[in-house]
Amino acid sequence: MADSPLGRPVNRVDGRRKVTGTAAYAADQHPDRMVHGHLLVSDVGHGTIRSMDTAAARSAPGVLAVFTPFEPLALAAGAGQNWVPLQDTLVRYHGQVIGIVVADTFEQARDAAALVRTDYDETPPAASFAAGIPTATVPTGGWEPPVVDILADGVTSIDEALAASPVVVSGNYSQPSKHHNAMEPHATVADWRDGGLVVHGGTQAPAGHARSIAAALRLDPAQVRVLSPYVGGGFGNKATTWADAVVTAAAARAVGRPVKTVLTRPQTFTVTGHRSAVAQAIALGADHDGTLIALKHDAWSSLSGSGSVFESAPGTTSRMLYRTANLHVGQKVVTLDVPPSTFMRAPGEESGSFALECAMDELATALRMDPVALRLKNYATVLPGRNVPWSSKHLDECYRVGASRFGWARRRATPSAVAEGDWWVGMGMATAVYPANRFPTSVRVRLLADGTAAVSTASADLGTGMWTVLAQLGADRLGIAMDRVRPELGDSALPANFGAFGSASTAGVAPALRDAAAAAVRSLTEIAVSDERSVLHGADPAGVEYRAGALHAGGRSVTFGALLTATGHPAVEATASGGPGGPPAEYAFHSFGAHFCEVRVNRWTAELRLSRITTVVDAGTIVNPKTARNQIEGGMLFGVGQALFEGAQVEPNGRIANANLADYLIPVNADVPPMDVHFLDHPDTVFNPAGVRGVGEIGTVGVAAAIANAVFNATGRRVRDLPITVEKLL
Amino acid sequence: MRPFRFDVARSVEDAVHRPAPGLAYLAGGTTLVDLMKLEVANPAAVLDINRLPLRGIRSDGPGLRIGALERMSAVAGHPAVTSGYPLLAEALRHSASPQVRNMASIGGNLLQRTRCGYFRDVRTGCNKRVPGSGCPAIEGENRTHAVLGTSDTCVATHPSDLAVALVALDATVLVHGAGGRRALPIADLYLLPGSTPDQETALRPGELITEVTVPALPAGTRSTYLKIRDRQSYEFALCSAAVALRMRGRVVREVRVAAGGVGTRPWRLPAVEDALTGRAPRPDVVAAAAAHAVDGARPLSQNRFKVLLLQRTITRAVLSLVDGRG
Repeated sequence: MADSPLGRPVNRVDGRRKVTGTAAYAADQHPDRMVHGHLLVSDVGHGTIRSMDTAAARSAPGVLAVFTPFEPLALAAGAGQNWVPLQDTLVRYHGQVIGIVVADTFEQARDAAALVRTDYDETPPAASFAAGIPTATVPTGGWEPPVVDILADGVTSIDEALAASPVVVSGNYSQPSKHHNAMEPHATVADWRDGGLVVHGGTQAPAGHARSIAAALRLDPAQVRVLSPYVGGGFGNKATTWADAVVTAAAARAVGRPVKTVLTRPQTFTVTGHRSAVAQAIALGADHDGTLIALKHDAWSSLSGSGSVFESAPGTTSRMLYRTANLHVGQKVVTLDVPPSTFMRAPGEESGSFALECAMDELATALRMDPVALRLKNYATVLPGRNVPWSSKHLDECYRVGASRFGWARRRATPSAVAEGDWWVGMGMATAVYPANRFPTSVRVRLLADGTAAVSTASADLGTGMWTVLAQLGADRLGIAMDRVRPELGDSALPANFGAFGSASTAGVAPALRDAAAAAVRSLTEIAVSDERSVLHGADPAGVEYRAGALHAGGRSVTFGALLTATGHPAVEATASGGPGGPPAEYAFHSFGAHFCEVRVNRWTAELRLSRITTVVDAGTIVNPKTARNQIEGGMLFGVGQALFEGAQVEPNGRIANANLADYLIPVNADVPPMDVHFLDHPDTVFNPAGVRGVGEIGTVGVAAAIANAVFNATGRRVRDLPITVEKLL
Repeated sequence: MRPFRFDVARSVEDAVHRPAPGLAYLAGGTTLVDLMKLEVANPAAVLDINRLPLRGIRSDGPGLRIGALERMSAVAGHPAVTSGYPLLAEALRHSASPQVRNMASIGGNLLQRTRCGYFRDVRTGCNKRVPGSGCPAIEGENRTHAVLGTSDTCVATHPSDLAVALVALDATVLVHGAGGRRALPIADLYLLPGSTPDQETALRPGELITEVTVPALPAGTRSTYLKIRDRQSYEFALCSAAVALRMRGRVVREVRVAAGGVGTRPWRLPAVEDALTGRAPRPDVVAAAAAHAVDGARPLSQNRFKVLLLQRTITRAVLSLVDGRG
């Protein structure tokens, strides 16, 4: 019997293809007769297009067509936003798609695009987040209720509870809007053939991408096939179909040739989505022993007028993280004339944890209490307001193990108490939390006569490790070696899968795969007992056992490959589906973690260095410690970016001044120390039989707070406005 | 990118005798090609000078000679440079990324264009790119812009780290033009923006930098290039200091100080040098001397911090040479 690869640090099955450059991404596709598209985007932040002079572009070398609102493409639905590209002359934000040039080569399309002259009737955009806060509104969409008040008996308001608290801390926190900047820019190759459309495009949701494109082009969803075997990073920004994909597909239909469009880096900032800017006000009231009496957390998040996602900061963090007698969370949105706002790694938790976990640090300082002790003092064992326990919660162990691995006991509570040479040294910690999600997932298990198996679902591997995890789960359930399992994903024609987001892929795939494997084995058994050519013919099905790739009964056994070969079956297969798991009324489902970090700040020039970081994660069973660790490290890097580097500079006219990778800073290797990541690995079998939750996003949550808290410990400066740049510490 | 004529120069004479207007010399291409793709630079002709014999790194008694086509990485790693001119090696190693350093030439480094975001975006105004079209940075995003040497038409920062070190070392650039050869002190190479920010250097049309010469520092001189930036690699200086210091007993016998990231050109600081020379460099003395660095500084809405950061950077750099502290 093959030893199960589950829980082992297995190398990525697609690793060799990626490092040798043989993994073909969307932009690597070159169907016959393919031509190139280059998008035209608006140069003003709001207004109407008066005219577009495309004559020079049309007569430029190699140009096949120019489409604009005046010569539009046939599109019926928008993509990722609440309007349809090229169907009107309205400019809703700076950098909006207003056309596409199609030419024989990329360079010809790009150079012709530069020849298009556009005249506008400009009107001033509402682009300033700060200016919009006074007129913010209560959101109507969103997954979390915008306002939650849970008050103790006899208490009439959260402010009353705060006023009655012996110790109160409060602060205003803020952070700019941010962009995902996946290494692979959004790319589409649209190829019409045989009455249908094949789209190569990096996406987190092949089936959803196919549906969105079909709706935009008035096609039957079955006519669109999306292929996305490799995705060069998504982070939430490839969960949604954006205008570039549908415009490219429509242009390909119009010119009768396959068309490839790859966004430029600046275009990825405006044609696709970004994370809200967030302002937060938080106040904590506690007793002298540290017991929380009141937690009041309000947030204002930017929301694009084009739609559709905003950061639900308090609702995803303060709503559930600590036990408190009185709780208020409130969320408002500032609607702006900016590019679409969308999901970005840990949407809500990323910003919410910054305010909450810094405020907890401020409270610990005010109480002269250890920050870990304060969190344990207010440890929640039931979900506030619903009073149900978590399916599996080991956050206390995260604190304990993390503190020990990191050496938290050496921390001095007084700021600026430790220096090495000209560098102040400080330590900080914070909690991480992220919901355990599970989305509708179907998996097909196919046993083949050659003794191999295919495991298939229309999921995506955006660097997450799903290729590998799928093979591991298949090998585990079928009891065969991993190299006999062929994973299949990244194809909308495969069994339906909601897509790779919400850190939910493994938790969705594992139980569906388990059921599909069992069903395939039942079909196999049926053949084994009923087919005369089978060595198990006539056996009682109830007495047939499947183990290590073979059926066993009455002292006889046959591998599935031999059985299928002997009985003339090329294959046997079964598909099973799982949906959201667990009874929500009885349990709450979250993953947890704790970060501990050390920073150094130069006493002369205030340069900030992250010098050490330890993260302990409680996310259920870990299927592959190697890819999981990779996921957590990537998440932590997002937190480092949030803390120290990232932020869009949105000018009053809506132009993003730093829409490129030289001016929009993300961490480089030199900024990041080796990361110490540890998994607790406690199975959550209430959540699903496989015991897995998810690891894509939780690594991000709390990192910025841990760093800001360490900065306070190093310098005595409490920075509440991100990113923490040198001028805030000088 | 606009169509252009591409040629390969056969000799320096061949290169400098081509008609100059609309001609751009191509060495490493790390600035020029970027700017052509952005349509910021639209040369009618591009002349590849990479085959010209402008190579070689030679150290003789009085100084160092670097061929203008030597790559940044080659210079940074050359034993003559690391042993005799560590300030240059340090400034180069703190520049750009390894990939860029492998491509970019020394001559090109000295002539690289500013990183100002408005200069690089043809949809906005920029007096440096299109004279008279305005300077959005003065009221706009100017956190990384200059506080020294600015004018009402331009506040763009000079981006080169190497140039700051060369200014501290009193280097000379050798230039070759149709009218012959001449030597130019590096401090004279760069012009203040004044009312003509599009004119950045004293090079005449068609003149080509062929060599950089650096006089040796007196024995016993210690030096450092301290670069403060938003991240630890692949990022321009918010502020940098090139300092070379020679002590006599407890007092400063000779000191050279130049600053980057704060000026519209590499900024030598004689007032700081004067205030330190002959003095015992205690922290208070150094800080007081460093305060002269910001004489005449004109901070903008987002870069006021550079006024303090420059003084702190110089202070830290000088003190690190005095007592060897990090």
